[in-house]
Amino acid sequence: MDKPIISMEKVNKAFLPGVQVIDNLSFSVQKGEIIGILGPNGAGKTTTIRLLNGVLYPDTGRMSVAGFDPVSAGDEVRKRCGVLTESAGLYEHMTARDNLLFFAELYGVPEPVRQAERLLSEFGLAGAARKKVGTFSTGMKKRLGIAKALLHNPEILFLDEPTTGLDPEGSRALLNYIKELNRECGVTILLATHLLKQVQDFGHRFLFIEQGRLLESGSFVELETKYLREITLKVETGLAVSGDDFAGFPVVKKGPGYLWFRLESKNAVPLLLEKILAVAPVYSAVITGRDLETIYFIIREEKQ
Amino acid sequence: MRKRQVRAVIKKDITAVTSSFQTWLPMLLLPVVFSLIMPCLLIVPAYKYDISERSILQVLEELPPGELRETIFSFGSTNKQMIYFSVHYLFAPFLLIIPLMAASVLGSGSFAREKERKTMESLLLAPISAPDLFRAKILAAFIPAVLLTFFSFLLYGTTVNLTAYRLFGGLIFPRPHWLILLFWVSPALSLGAVFLNVFISAKVKGFQEAYQLGAMTVLPLIALIAGQVTGVLLLSNTILWFLGAGLWLLDFFLIKRAGRYLDRSKLFTTLAS
Repeated sequence: MDKPIISMEKVNKAFLPGVQVIDNLSFSVQKGEIIGILGPNGAGKTTTIRLLNGVLYPDTGRMSVAGFDPVSAGDEVRKRCGVLTESAGLYEHMTARDNLLFFAELYGVPEPVRQAERLLSEFGLAGAARKKVGTFSTGMKKRLGIAKALLHNPEILFLDEPTTGLDPEGSRALLNYIKELNRECGVTILLATHLLKQVQDFGHRFLFIEQGRLLESGSFVELETKYLREITLKVETGLAVSGDDFAGFPVVKKGPGYLWFRLESKNAVPLLLEKILAVAPVYSAVITGRDLETIYFIIREEKQ
Repeated sequence: MRKRQVRAVIKKDITAVTSSFQTWLPMLLLPVVFSLIMPCLLIVPAYKYDISERSILQVLEELPPGELRETIFSFGSTNKQMIYFSVHYLFAPFLLIIPLMAASVLGSGSFAREKERKTMESLLLAPISAPDLFRAKILAAFIPAVLLTFFSFLLYGTTVNLTAYRLFGGLIFPRPHWLILLFWVSPALSLGAVFLNVFISAKVKGFQEAYQLGAMTVLPLIALIAGQVTGVLLLSNTILWFLGAGLWLLDFFLIKRAGRYLDRSKLFTTLAS
């Protein structure tokens, strides 16, 4: 395996004595990965991003980002990273264009005007380029915030709750763009969110954080295999079941036209469907509770 | 120092001031009062009325022998003596108070406004070093403060010469000490005031807190220095040179020492706490 592009080793951070915000946190990220940092509010997701960008210094532990230590070589790290903070951090009294030009100067972008105009156009903000950011909707600010984070073509992109305040359409467009960016440019992405459903489909790996501690990490398949020991299959069928099971498969719930079966694994699905089809029609079958959110709650329950 | 980044922050901050009516208007009021209204109120009535004030005439009587005493007493009328002395010495501290006021308004807002507008984190996440950011913030307040002082000086000089011309039969402004004040003492004092206000601004959470704290601690201290200038001016210009040099040294020492109290993490902690 290649050397990770990001690593944290036994990092601790407390803002006040005895109040541990980051507790012995260790993880690593490979180049080109999309990592979901998941956890409730106050779990330490934002602090992790700040530590990795050298804005906060750890009390103990070691970190490396793009080959540099964020504490001793913070500017080298920040040159290679783009960050979208939750509030976007834009100057509301300045125009969208002026905001980008200002940050382009800070990041030392070679052709600031060209780059700013390219990004404004890419994010559908060319028409609003000379309007003050204070007049923008939340969605427009988020898009401008992403444009700001991408000004210097970063190797690593940190996104802190990027879809907060966005409508479903805006959220989807933003997440699709992030996916494309990763696929086409190989940008490594760390996305901190408490909205698990949004990242389930495109995150390569997930880190579950709570009270500054890493509860669990892994890909969806790894986590599913480890934690989803039983599955529930929702079957749309004409089958009528009088008792608590059918052909040895426990029925956990009944509804008009639907039955819910508890199975030990997804390997049992074909056999169950075969048995039902022998006596009644099947219109659809779907595994329920097979998502990151279910896994998250199982992990929380088990680890605490 | 990375000049491009420092320049960008300075430009952004100065543009924010010039585009905000609420910020620059109060800063213009004091120069207008000092440079336009006060000299007019002093000089114009002197064409018709006796404006001599006993306490000031007593000060003039006690002036040590020398060029100043000779110049003042070469004007026959007490009105002229009053005007000459007031214009050159009594009003001189204003040239120090104007940049102090500007430094206080601009300096206290420097970091505090970034915190209030939630843009501070964006700055800290950019590859600009904390000392460069601090330097930029100081310069962004110092440059307008100095320009405002120059503007006030020009306005004051023009007003004095225009209104007093007929009375004196020629130009009476400036005397050499004004130039030492303008180019040597005033910038040094401004820099100190800007530094202290920016430092406080970096340490507190909001503009109001920064402004009040700055006004309570910095302004009285520096106004005290400004208030003593009349006395110093009457002694000699050499002392004025030394006063400026002392202030520049103090500025250098303060700015040099500030670095250790203003690393990125500490700047951020005031934001998060």
